[in-house]
Amino acid sequence: MIRFRVDGRSGVPPYQQIVQQARQALRMGVLSVGDQLPSVREVVAVTAVNPNTVLKAYRDLEREGLVEARSGQGTFVRGRPPGPPPGTHARLGRTLAGWVREARAAGLDDEAIASLLQLTLQAAAEEDIA
Amino acid sequence: MKPVIETSGLTKRYRRVTALNDCTISVPEGRISALVGPNGAGKTTLLRLLAGLAAPTGGRAEVLGRPPRKDPAYLAEIGFLAQEIPLYRRLTAEDHIGIGAHLNPRWDGKLARERLAGLKIPLDRPAGRLSGGQRAQLALALTLAKRPRLLLLDEPLAALDPLARRDFLAALAEAAAGGDLTIVLSSHLIADTERVCDHLILLAESQVQLCADTESLLAQHRILTGPRKDTTGIARTHVIVREDTTARQTTLLARLNGPVIDPAWTVDEPNLEEIVLAYMSADQAGHNAGPAGARLSAVGGGR
Amino acid sequence: MTWVTWRQYRYQGALAAALLAVLAVVLLLTGLHAANAWHSALSGCAKNGTCGSLGGSGLSLSSPTFLTLVVATSAVPLLPGLFWGAPMVASELEAGTHQFAWTQSITRRRWLAVRAAWLLLAAVVLSGIVSAVVTWWSGPDNALNADAFLANHFDITGIVPAGYALFAMALGICAGALLRRTVPALAVTLAGFTGLRALTALWLRPHYLSPVTVYYKLTAPFSPAGSYLGIAQGIIGPHGQTAVPNNGAPSYDGVPIPAACLHAAATPNPQAPVPCLAAHGYHGYLTYQPASRFWAFQGIETGIFVVLAAALLAVAFWVLQRRDA
Repeated sequence: MIRFRVDGRSGVPPYQQIVQQARQALRMGVLSVGDQLPSVREVVAVTAVNPNTVLKAYRDLEREGLVEARSGQGTFVRGRPPGPPPGTHARLGRTLAGWVREARAAGLDDEAIASLLQLTLQAAAEEDIA
Repeated sequence: MKPVIETSGLTKRYRRVTALNDCTISVPEGRISALVGPNGAGKTTLLRLLAGLAAPTGGRAEVLGRPPRKDPAYLAEIGFLAQEIPLYRRLTAEDHIGIGAHLNPRWDGKLARERLAGLKIPLDRPAGRLSGGQRAQLALALTLAKRPRLLLLDEPLAALDPLARRDFLAALAEAAAGGDLTIVLSSHLIADTERVCDHLILLAESQVQLCADTESLLAQHRILTGPRKDTTGIARTHVIVREDTTARQTTLLARLNGPVIDPAWTVDEPNLEEIVLAYMSADQAGHNAGPAGARLSAVGGGR
Repeated sequence: MTWVTWRQYRYQGALAAALLAVLAVVLLLTGLHAANAWHSALSGCAKNGTCGSLGGSGLSLSSPTFLTLVVATSAVPLLPGLFWGAPMVASELEAGTHQFAWTQSITRRRWLAVRAAWLLLAAVVLSGIVSAVVTWWSGPDNALNADAFLANHFDITGIVPAGYALFAMALGICAGALLRRTVPALAVTLAGFTGLRALTALWLRPHYLSPVTVYYKLTAPFSPAGSYLGIAQGIIGPHGQTAVPNNGAPSYDGVPIPAACLHAAATPNPQAPVPCLAAHGYHGYLTYQPASRFWAFQGIETGIFVVLAAALLAVAFWVLQRRDA
């Protein structure tokens, strides 16, 4: 069962954090089709956010076709977001971990790594447009 | 759907002091509402008036469809938790649960005991020997066991450490997850309550400055930054809540009535704390800008 | 609400019951001893025929300690007022627990009514038991000294202590509700109780019913039977002359001696003028309340305190309901 985390200081609205975490869990294979999402009550008891926030997040996920609410039973996973299978994510994740180790060994701190990543993404985006 | 709380011109005057002045608010059902404002703004007074512990000197209030009264039928529907977490120091949690069972028609003692067991609060220790956080949780459990439709909490987080605060807010949110409970909790810190609350009432200097769903507030307010310039253009269409000017730059927090056309302004989304602080400091500076002034009794719908 | 009252007061109730038991046992034991001493004194004087003068013989039925203890039971009716009455509303307001109690599904009136009723009952029972034991204890002493009607004895026997207790409780509750703080309420209860008791015992009680005045011959002093309450006594002349302030002239019991009897006043024996005064129409008078009115007076005084208690309770309820919590 997935456990949601809401960071009050991230600048991202809580409901969006839940949606993102759910999508990521689906990509990574932490959640599979047929799994049950924690009930609103359970999420709220752990994260101390407003129940309507969780309801909104689950509605968004439902609209995207990722989950479905079964009355009286709860919310269940229905599909995965588009993209490569979880295995690919896991493989790429391992490769990235290796790169991060290398970067740290070379002396880059987290901030430098993050900005390097951001620049690379931007450059790639410009390449795609071009 | 009728609001759970509706007041009109509610006023409370003591001999020389006006604790609450012309307070008009509306709280829809199912909301978790944050009642914020500096100390002495009238938050406790408002809560006590709604709970029937004090009588107003002017205006009227309707809670759950009727004026707050001291009769058992009304008291059964509300739960009130005072700031000092008043419990009988020599009586145990079990004693308190017993008192509740004997004095309330709808009492869920099992719920209270389950809650306390989940938090590992002993039932047989005198309340005076529990920690602050445990006392707060016990008091909350007792108010929830009444199965009220409206919960009024006066600065429940004030005496709690951060962990206890988190636990308390989580317990509140969980109780509200059922959907038939409306909560008003007062606090002089907005950051604490921001996650859990979806409605906000701002009281400053005994008057209502804001009363709206947090979603509306966030949707309608923006921070405008630009080179130092004249703001009358903006003020014509939108409401300027707070204006800060340095030698080079003007920063506004405004309630927008449409898009900002002037490209000289950079538009950012404020968080709730920034909005509230802007209204609080605007009032203190005596700054009144825009067609309707900076004071609002209701922003947007959200009903 | 009864259960709630029990829960909150059970330790205090147990303590009060324990103290009562101790006091009752002490009084029972010493009372038995005093009764024995009295009966042996009675049988002794019957043999000698000296029963008439037992009262002045200095016979003591009990040690001074216990006599003081018995007199001290006049404080018993005040104690529930101080320990239960004054804090009843005031301590809830001070501790803030009224915000818990008065937001449960109960009216403030009912909250106070049930508590007050049980504790008033307890106060009355407490005082009643103590006064019953003391009344029994004082039997021999009153027979010996004929002082049942006197202030220190009247106040601790019969039914008046129960009335006092009701009043003290009501005063405490009312003071607590008005002043909202326990210590000032305690002070007011103490002062009010003491003040009213002093007022009734010293000034009001002698006049509940019109006193009886008897004129008697100076040569045959009159003493009413049983425990009577003396109010005034003296000499009165044939033309209504009564005692005057001392101006140096010879006088008997404050009344100036007429010329005809001055020769008798010259002797060192202070009683010498009596036969002469009697012959010249001087009489003695005694204004008093007869012993037969003892229970009527008990009833009247209890009634006064009960009526006041009711009024104070009415005020307390009114204040509770109307004032902000």
